[in-house]
Amino acid sequence: MTEEYRESVPVLTFPRQTFVSLLVFAAVWEALSYLAPYLGIPPFAIPSLVRIAKSVMTITPIDIVVTLARVIAALIVSFVLGLALAMAMYRSESLNKYLHPMIRVLMAVPVVSWILFAVLWFPGVEFRIGFVLVIVCGPVFLIDTLDAMHGVPRELRHMMQSFRPTTWQYFFKLMLPAIVPTIFTSWKVNISLAIRVVTIAELVGAVTGIGHQLSVAQELFSVADVFAWTLVLVALLFLLEAIVARVEARVLRWRA
Amino acid sequence: MSGPPPIEVRGLRKIFRQTTTGQTVVAIDHLDLTISPREVVAIVGQTGCGKSTFFDLMIGLEAPSEGLIHIGDKSPHADFDHFRGRIATVFQQDRLLPWRSALDNAKLPLELIGLPEEEQRKRALTWLNRLGLGQFTNAYPHELSGGMRQRVAIARAFAVEPDILLADEAFGHLDEVTAADLRETFLELARECGSTAILITHQLEEAISVGDRIVVFGKSAKLLADIHVNRWGKESHPLLREAIQSTLLNNRADPRLAGVP
Repeated sequence: MTEEYRESVPVLTFPRQTFVSLLVFAAVWEALSYLAPYLGIPPFAIPSLVRIAKSVMTITPIDIVVTLARVIAALIVSFVLGLALAMAMYRSESLNKYLHPMIRVLMAVPVVSWILFAVLWFPGVEFRIGFVLVIVCGPVFLIDTLDAMHGVPRELRHMMQSFRPTTWQYFFKLMLPAIVPTIFTSWKVNISLAIRVVTIAELVGAVTGIGHQLSVAQELFSVADVFAWTLVLVALLFLLEAIVARVEARVLRWRA
Repeated sequence: MSGPPPIEVRGLRKIFRQTTTGQTVVAIDHLDLTISPREVVAIVGQTGCGKSTFFDLMIGLEAPSEGLIHIGDKSPHADFDHFRGRIATVFQQDRLLPWRSALDNAKLPLELIGLPEEEQRKRALTWLNRLGLGQFTNAYPHELSGGMRQRVAIARAFAVEPDILLADEAFGHLDEVTAADLRETFLELARECGSTAILITHQLEEAISVGDRIVVFGKSAKLLADIHVNRWGKESHPLLREAIQSTLLNNRADPRLAGVP
């Protein structure tokens, strides 16, 4: 056999530029905190890095855990519902025609409106937050996976059908693996969305969670605390994205 | 072993309606054809003559507008599930699932018929070895060359040891040497499996070299000629090629083809 066998070569990159840009940002912030009084800015508005570090040390882990649990639970529910509905809409053209406009309308409703609806409709805080997260993230999962299903190459669908799979086999052996790259992208988008939405939802009605702590910090005019909790949110987002990216790299190792 | 059932095509018509203009297009017009068990039939015709539509009808993905296709006493479309594991296909492009290794791709039809995992693995490995891919079973499609990928696609088709094998321009995109090698392997395996093989091609050389029979389609899959290649001596192949070419060009059977029983 003369044909060639190609080995894939893993590529490693070092995020040097990331460290440099973060260092530059920290230096500019520290300089501004020293210069603030000379610039007519109240000293509490731009706290020094040391003050922020002190606030970080006072952060209560339980609030992080609560927010994280809300985000993860809501994302899992959103994903399952979104995928199930996308599969049903892919199977049934008429269901697709009826539901698609409704989904677009849901997606156009601002997050703040959903929070107000949730406060007016539901008594329980957890249910309110869960509702808002699912109603915002669910349609994103649905539309992304549905579009990905429609984008599965006709050649692969034709090949699969020629081997006569059952409906379940068709979905689980072709459609689902084929849309996995899109599912990962959708998860990354929705993690970022959910972190932002949960913060707003917690600001309004919750007595626990990062959003609630941000609200307390705002009432105390503590920019350092706001900054510290914001840092936690950003770190949480990066951590979740890193976990998804790690799983993605493992699951999609078949890609060139 | 009972062997593959015969294929009967009677008064077959396939009409498509164009979605934009609403006009109807007759892709296949009153086709009659009988294919005996274990025959290797090459179907040749110009682009747009209905070969691929015939392929889709044979695998049951399209329903005839009129007439019938029967494999044994069953229709590949109406009795779709009956033919699971009995009809296998090889396409022009390998159409391998990129997230599956060569082994898992070859296993696919075996998973669909519900064989036990160990049996799936054993059979897929056997066929990959037969096609010279024993060392590449864990390779993903993007790690293999075009010829190797097509070998995996052939292993996938043979893994179920089907009654009917359908190949649509399966070797057309490969270089001449690889294509000739694969054609030979394909034929050898089809004969060994006792499958009926139907190869759709636009290459006359390929049709003459592989087919026991050559069926020549004109426009709308009109049957222009049905040639039993074995009745022509090997030395007559250039003449046969010329006669088929003339048939295709003039859209009617060349008189030279009528001279051979």
